[in-house]
Amino acid sequence: MPRHLFRAFGLAVLLVTAQAASAEETLRLRMNGDVNVLDPISTTNFTIRNASYLMFDTLFAMDENYKVQPQMAEGAVVSDDGLVYTITLRDGLKFHDGSPVTAEDAVASLKRWGSVDGLGKILFSKTASLEAADDKTVVLTLNEPWGLVLDALGKISSNVPVIMPAEQAAKPASEAVTEPIGSGPYKLLPDEWVPGSIVVFKKFDDYVPRSEPASLAAGGKVAHFDKVEIQYIPDTATAINALIAGEIDWIEEVPADMLMFFDGVETAKTVAARQSGNSAQLVVNHLNPPFDNPKIRHALQLAVEQTPFLQAAFGDVTDSYLECAAVFFCDTPYASDINTDRVLKRDPEAAKKLLEEAGYDGTPVLIMHVTDIASQDNFYSVLAPMLKEAGFNVDVQPTDWATVATRRASKEPVENGGWNVFFTGWGFVDQSNPMTNVYVSGDCDNSWFGWACSERLQDLRKQFAVATSEDDRKKLATEMQEITHDLVSYVPLGQAFPSVGLATDLKGYIDGPVPFFWNLERTN
Amino acid sequence: MIRYAAARILAGIPTLLLVSVFIFSLAHITPGDPAILLAGDNATPSQVAEIRTRLHLDLPLVQQFGLWLGDALRLDLGKSIYSGKPVTQLIAQRVEPTLVLSFVTLVLTVLVAVPLGAVSAWKANSIIDRISMGIAVAGFSIPVFVIAYLLVYFFAVKLRLFPVQGYKWLADGWMATLNSVTLPAIALAFVFSALIARVTRASVLEALGENYIRTAHAKGLGAPRILFVHALRSVGVPVITVIGIGFATLIGGVVVTESVFNIPGIGRLTVDAVTRRDYPVIQGVILFFSVALIFINLLVDLSYAYIDPRIRG
Repeated sequence: MPRHLFRAFGLAVLLVTAQAASAEETLRLRMNGDVNVLDPISTTNFTIRNASYLMFDTLFAMDENYKVQPQMAEGAVVSDDGLVYTITLRDGLKFHDGSPVTAEDAVASLKRWGSVDGLGKILFSKTASLEAADDKTVVLTLNEPWGLVLDALGKISSNVPVIMPAEQAAKPASEAVTEPIGSGPYKLLPDEWVPGSIVVFKKFDDYVPRSEPASLAAGGKVAHFDKVEIQYIPDTATAINALIAGEIDWIEEVPADMLMFFDGVETAKTVAARQSGNSAQLVVNHLNPPFDNPKIRHALQLAVEQTPFLQAAFGDVTDSYLECAAVFFCDTPYASDINTDRVLKRDPEAAKKLLEEAGYDGTPVLIMHVTDIASQDNFYSVLAPMLKEAGFNVDVQPTDWATVATRRASKEPVENGGWNVFFTGWGFVDQSNPMTNVYVSGDCDNSWFGWACSERLQDLRKQFAVATSEDDRKKLATEMQEITHDLVSYVPLGQAFPSVGLATDLKGYIDGPVPFFWNLERTN
Repeated sequence: MIRYAAARILAGIPTLLLVSVFIFSLAHITPGDPAILLAGDNATPSQVAEIRTRLHLDLPLVQQFGLWLGDALRLDLGKSIYSGKPVTQLIAQRVEPTLVLSFVTLVLTVLVAVPLGAVSAWKANSIIDRISMGIAVAGFSIPVFVIAYLLVYFFAVKLRLFPVQGYKWLADGWMATLNSVTLPAIALAFVFSALIARVTRASVLEALGENYIRTAHAKGLGAPRILFVHALRSVGVPVITVIGIGFATLIGGVVVTESVFNIPGIGRLTVDAVTRRDYPVIQGVILFFSVALIFINLLVDLSYAYIDPRIRG
């Protein structure tokens, strides 16, 4: 065979194999962070949570009406006295290594989750025993009736009670499982995982989806792609260009000032994710002066208002944000406007007067200005002048998020490495539930950073945990909000609805507080 | 020659040791606790303490350094605090993209900058000189990410000639690799060429005034031969020095380019490790850089001997 013919043959072979390879459908995702571990019990990090949903499954799951439905479980039978929950696993559940999912695995996984998760800890504090009665039956026995058992087991956000093999679940929760094995619709390809760059999943052929249609985290999780890649693209502009050029299919969050990149673009679009709202807060340290004085905390409330912060973050994209001072988010079952006037309206003169009455001695407020996260950088730039105008002395110190994340844990005075205020954000799922909202615990030294202290709040939360009627819960939540704003555990800065970037040739996207990638398929 | 090379390599060892002490101290002095970052928002103080103990972060610094050094001597650079993977594995995964990008940039740069500088010197103060030096100054002054975004906009988003981002591994075919690093290499070469073109121009200008060039003219040799064979060869030493320094800075300085073009190289590994206070990775990467630098300096020194026979003697 002449040499050039030989080459042409080689080329043809190459083309054919290239075509065969491209017939494999791959979904390529860009999340906000990097997937460094795949163990959603070892961390509350949302990127890890999102990625984990691809490969892990849960006993119960929340549907689009925020009702808990069975997922791996066939169902649960509750005894008449409300103390014994008998949960049966459905048929055909398999881990990615081929071994069957047993009740033993479920028990071990739940115990590990219960040692670290907020709601899980409450559940286990009320649990007399959790045992595998046989291969398919889990029996949970409580000390006292508790209305939120299924809500806890069907928890949609961090830490999600995922099921893993018992031997992996034997690890302490603080130690991440390094070679995770799940039983979800996609299976991890460990050899193609490069932390800081990419993690690849393959469709798990033995997964049996439920027969119901997909509904948020519940229903049938049908995998339509052969492979799913999560690429870590640190630069947002690059990620958007890649989406427009068809190199990736989905971006978790398109910043408001980059929405215009999509004008006139046919290959990709943005979707304002109304359900995946986040909220921003200014957290206040109750241990250090000047904010150890309640009056000065009230002055802080009057010194700031939400609009300038929201504008700093979203510019004129007004449908991306909402002014909201409801402790449990606006448009949720426990939303309320009680005691919000003082939070929503700025009044520097009144703040000055309060400072005078409180005998404010000019102790500077330490502002740890985070410069490496753009939204935070903007927020801090707005905060300092507002405080000054209201008569506060401020000490602005530029720093990075890693430093603040460490320093906020310190209960020391400011001069010994302590702090006064910092910005943070929480998602809709955690904030809308009084059991998981960190600002309403009132648990003093055991509270989240800021250590706000209120016996009444502690008491209300205990009552909430055992309340059985929705009316009672609503009443308790409303009082919690009233006290929280009096106490100033934090200053709410409004709600945001980040836009998701999506390739236009995809259908079946589930809009929710957590992104899910089953059900999603390509149209062509 | 071999003894010379061996001596140079041995001299690198104390440098390495000093660098590791320095980097270890610097990483640990920086505020920020990896255990807290690792534990996440809902962690309790006892969980954080548990992680700190597991990672030996509660030991005195000297003891931590001793542990690290002992392992490093056995080529065990520890495990990443962040991902739990061995540091040697993380570095190995990242070497190829950075090396390929640096190499392609270097080739592009030398192909463009050396002739540009030589011609500028030949036609000193002419319009050609002004234009090429103008471009060189612009390359030096415009931040690399601006050039990067412009290249992406025109050649990737509009013309679809190259991918916007990402790296294709050599194992998947070198054509795809070359395609994936073309835009980042051009962006980097733009900056790097400016430096080399200017050094080449200055050195050639000096050489052109020498007697042997006049002799070459008198012999009736053509301009290109005089310029590229006689003048350029004699300016090899300063130009190679700058290329060597440049290559070293390239390996470290590809951080921005790697971020903009999403290339999973060493530069990005470093930045990510610093923002996460991933001490073992920071230490491992810096050690790797130090070894690379010593190696490059060695290559530069050896190439002096090749170019300039006087040094060989």
